[in-house]
Amino acid sequence: MTPTSMAILTFLAFLLPVPLLVWLDRPRHRSKR
Amino acid sequence: MYAGHFAAGFAIKARAPDAPTWGVLIGVGLLDLLFGPFVLAGWERVTLTPGVSPGFTLDYIDWSHSLLMSMVWAAAYGLCFLRQGRPIAVVMGIAVLSHFVLDWFMHPADLALWPGSRVHLGLGLWWLFPVGWWFFELAFIGLCLAYYYRRSRTLRTFGHRCAAIVVVIVFLHVANSPWLAPH
Repeated sequence: MTPTSMAILTFLAFLLPVPLLVWLDRPRHRSKR
Repeated sequence: MYAGHFAAGFAIKARAPDAPTWGVLIGVGLLDLLFGPFVLAGWERVTLTPGVSPGFTLDYIDWSHSLLMSMVWAAAYGLCFLRQGRPIAVVMGIAVLSHFVLDWFMHPADLALWPGSRVHLGLGLWWLFPVGWWFFELAFIGLCLAYYYRRSRTLRTFGHRCAAIVVVIVFLHVANSPWLAPH
């Protein structure tokens, strides 16, 4: 590990989980009646 | 702090359910999203300390993490959401500022008041409790996600996959544990 790789890792660690967490938080789909 | 920031984001989302989740989650991590490129640009400095908690020393992070710059980034980020209404913009600003507040608990005194300031803040749980900090953050994650769960059951507009969110955040926290840190 180098400072450069730590900087890249930190950036990715805070960015990559966001789409998954947003997807898990999405509202429940309500079917039309 | 790492996964605790995401947990704080979900607590903020639970308090302000109209705020876009992606915006809140990017907001709580914004200071570290800036830190990475700033290190690559040479504007900030970090030294690795394998075997010594937390595995690195943040020598100069004043442009991303100082109190003044945290407020500047919070204001700038909040302004980006002003078209969605002032309450949403304020929530986004709070999300960014929460990062500084939570880092204060963990960081040794490396959080400057402003870029170049001789005064540095930080309680330093990383150094005071080289393993215990992980449980402190875990307890914080538990509190935040319990609040998220409780609000989701009241409002029923979000959070019906709360269990999966808990799994992901705990996984991220385990991945950041002192036992898995490089020695």
